[in-house]
Amino acid sequence: MRRVISTLIVLVLALVMTTSLMATGGSEMAEGEITLDFPTFWVGQDSKSGPIASLLETFNAMHEGEIRVLIEPNPSTDGYRDKLNTQLASGRAPDLFVFAPDPTTFQYYETDILMDFTDDLAGSWGDVFSGGQIAGATRNGRTKSVPYEVSIIPIWYNSDLFDQAGIDSFPVDLAEFQVAATALKDAGIVPTSQMTGGSNAWTSMLWFSHAAASLGGPGVWDLPLSDPIFTQAAEVLRSMYLDGNTTRDAVGGDAGVSGGHYMAGDTAMFINGPWYIGRIRGDAPEVHAATMLASIPQVGEYSGHQLGGPLSNLGAANTTSAARRDAVVTWMQFMTEPANVRMMSESSGALFGIKYELGADADPLQQEFVRVASEASFLVDHFASAYTVDVVAEFGQALAEMALGEFTPQEFIQALIDKDNE
Amino acid sequence: MIVRSGQRWLWLVLFLAPAMVLFTMYFVYPLGFVFVTSTLEWNGVSAAKFVGLQNYIDNFGSRSFQFSIRNNFIWLGSLAVVQIALAALVAMILARQPRGWRFLRTVYFLPNVISQVAIAMMWAALYNAEYGAINQFLELLGLEHLTHNWLGEIGTALPSILIQQVFYIGYFMIIIMASTMSIPESYYQAAQIDGANVLQQELYITLPMIRSILVTSMTLAAAYGLRHFEATFLLTDGGPAHRTSVLGIQLYKMTSALDYGHANAVGGTLVVLGLIVITLIRSTLGRRVAADEAKQ
Amino acid sequence: MQAVAAQRLTFAGGTARVGKWIVLIFFFIFTFLPLIWLLISSFKTNLELQTNAFGLPAIWQFQNYVNAVQISSLPRLFLNSVIVSVCSTFLTLAVTSMAAFVFAREKFPLQQPLLNLILAGVLVPIIGLMAPYFRLVNSLGLYDSLVALILTYTGINLPISTFLMHGFMKTIPAELEEAAEIDGASFVQRFTKVVFPLSRVGLVTAGTFVFLFSWNEFIYALLLTSRTASRTLQLGIRFFVSQFFTDYTSMFAAIVLTIIPSIAVYVFLHEKIIKGLTSGALKG
Repeated sequence: MRRVISTLIVLVLALVMTTSLMATGGSEMAEGEITLDFPTFWVGQDSKSGPIASLLETFNAMHEGEIRVLIEPNPSTDGYRDKLNTQLASGRAPDLFVFAPDPTTFQYYETDILMDFTDDLAGSWGDVFSGGQIAGATRNGRTKSVPYEVSIIPIWYNSDLFDQAGIDSFPVDLAEFQVAATALKDAGIVPTSQMTGGSNAWTSMLWFSHAAASLGGPGVWDLPLSDPIFTQAAEVLRSMYLDGNTTRDAVGGDAGVSGGHYMAGDTAMFINGPWYIGRIRGDAPEVHAATMLASIPQVGEYSGHQLGGPLSNLGAANTTSAARRDAVVTWMQFMTEPANVRMMSESSGALFGIKYELGADADPLQQEFVRVASEASFLVDHFASAYTVDVVAEFGQALAEMALGEFTPQEFIQALIDKDNE
Repeated sequence: MIVRSGQRWLWLVLFLAPAMVLFTMYFVYPLGFVFVTSTLEWNGVSAAKFVGLQNYIDNFGSRSFQFSIRNNFIWLGSLAVVQIALAALVAMILARQPRGWRFLRTVYFLPNVISQVAIAMMWAALYNAEYGAINQFLELLGLEHLTHNWLGEIGTALPSILIQQVFYIGYFMIIIMASTMSIPESYYQAAQIDGANVLQQELYITLPMIRSILVTSMTLAAAYGLRHFEATFLLTDGGPAHRTSVLGIQLYKMTSALDYGHANAVGGTLVVLGLIVITLIRSTLGRRVAADEAKQ
Repeated sequence: MQAVAAQRLTFAGGTARVGKWIVLIFFFIFTFLPLIWLLISSFKTNLELQTNAFGLPAIWQFQNYVNAVQISSLPRLFLNSVIVSVCSTFLTLAVTSMAAFVFAREKFPLQQPLLNLILAGVLVPIIGLMAPYFRLVNSLGLYDSLVALILTYTGINLPISTFLMHGFMKTIPAELEEAAEIDGASFVQRFTKVVFPLSRVGLVTAGTFVFLFSWNEFIYALLLTSRTASRTLQLGIRFFVSQFFTDYTSMFAAIVLTIIPSIAVYVFLHEKIIKGLTSGALKG
């Protein structure tokens, strides 16, 4: 009995403690002030966490007593996405949020709980965005999110390792690529970093996208997967996994494995976006200094292109209150103001779909990104932005099957087609 | 007497009420939600369409689902049989209080306190084909032909994750040990006088006395085998080529793709499968325990 | 004849002893290795972790610990985790021991179907219930509170705890209760004085389980809370994960900081619990 009593006492005490803790939030809210919750993964170690926090501080100071934006940190992007999906499926959008635009997330547009920015963007605000950005965020004539971060994803290569192997320029076609790969292997260097793991087989998916774009041109994702060019692109990707063209742990490896090999100087070629610059500069300064950018060796009739497209859009919850709506639009306009975007870009290394100029003292590799983007024959987005999440997940699984010799390139493509038809 | 019986009923209801209320909130309503949505084509945001059992039919026809269900049964067997057997063995050894048993008991339990993320990272590093300690060790011994890309080959991926999990016996060892240590010392003393050695004592005294907790543990382990998710999610995410996938992974992937209909059909399948398995365990092993206990 | 038997016995005893220590040492290495590895890795750079996972760090990175303390407001999250885990453990034990008592020791209509229904909850894949749980917590007005987590963890653990408690209560001899009833014990007294104290093994078993679950849970902690004031440790540890890069070594430093107290608490409590068990065991 004494045990029961002490148990109950602990329980009651604990509940008192928790209720007292529950009451701590929201006490400092001023009268008439509009509070906007902003759950985001741009926090913690993310390269945009610093600039976002300082923009937020400026904004809240500018609108003191009227609008206050509060960050809800959700560092894990998977967890963030799960939560956002659940909230939307329960009919409750967060006041402000970020999402990666793709055919899965554009389904959000089917609900009217998202704020519609079509009319706001039709005015002068629309002029701050780079060409095609607003159209890319529009479905059925409605723009229910604001375009923001974009990606440019060229091929990275380590010029020190290329020198070591006696290669003086980046290969321009597949024949040259084979020669270069052989020279690298003779020098004890693994040519490429690949991976089948993670949720989208990221770096290998990008090689595939580069090859497909070289075969299919700017409209490559409008072609059906049954088009023979995709089988050809799959053949190119398979060759990356053969004859020691990649590391042994590529099958099953994730982004850490793929990037880790490049940073350790094990592999000569890698693919990723500008957000990786900060990481490599910190962890592997020599590799950072030796890194050059290129477009993929020509596979089909097109060449000189780069992968690029929208990476994160800003969304908001629909509201019936005109004041709240104004507050949201004010915040969105502030976030996309060119001066603020430039600060964000220079400090994080990321690139944005907004017209701004980088300063001359920006990271040289980042400037290199801007250069390859402007010199590209055309920009096309990658496979993962053109297909739903389940097809993209199948990509990694079927790729492992192909790399392990269980699937031919035709069967690999067929697995994607089957998933897409489901 | 009538008053007493009325009181008994009142208490009975009062004792049951909190559990039933919570159970309704956290299981009856959500499971209703799962089963209803499993018959819909629904992406969570737009209007749902009734499709009957089509989601279940689609699932059973898909290759990844078939691999997953096979793997779930492999998990079920490995956890319910191998892990429980190992846990019981270690519990019986430690219950005899060999030197350092307190320390060992704590150490064996440690993996339960450490985050799964860290443990998975360590195993990914052990298994890695290029830098991994296992391959480096094999190369040191001149056994290069035995090295593998452990988590990336069809033949080795699933066994690698299974081994990683099956040997973390801490939780089951603790509960079996608690049961073992509550067996009265006098039973063993009597057996010792009769000339029974240690192994005989364990076989004829300990095992029968802990049979009920063993069945309980096996039932739980079987349920874990069906619900298994985290270690696989962290180590391979179901790859390579779906060979390590389990139903939990399928469910999660479908949810991420906003395919709530198929996802909840996976959930529904898991619940029904689980009911069948648990009923089987309880009606075979459980019945024998009940019969033995009645005899005593 | 006797001598041979004795010899065989010692031989068997000898192999058993060697076998015993092989088993114990094997599991020692298997379970202790992660801890040591974690500790050493928490002093490395991320590149070292990737490329030299089992060597010693070239330079010991104490900075990782500074990061861990600075970035993720660990003390507050730690306190929240303690509150949530302790409360949900006690709440679960209170609710389920009462229910299990009624199921194990009483007879009433629909008893077996009701029990089976609750036990079936053990099988439910909790990861598939995000949408209904989110709706439930919102409709109760508990979103973003510790109470939401306590209630949810109690709810999730209800079937397993009932299952364990019921199993233990079933094994308590009926004579003890009958004797108490003859002595005039009421319904409540039969529970508090006889069955509950004798179910300590069950309480410890279920309690450990609920505590560990609540301590390690991540998905629902993220789903149901938004401010630091109501978040738990597992979310703090994830602070080192970001979109394109995870700072594992700082994350490990945070994990090391958080497991030191949990191990201390575990060792301390466990000693108490086991003592209680062996002294209060069923004597004959």
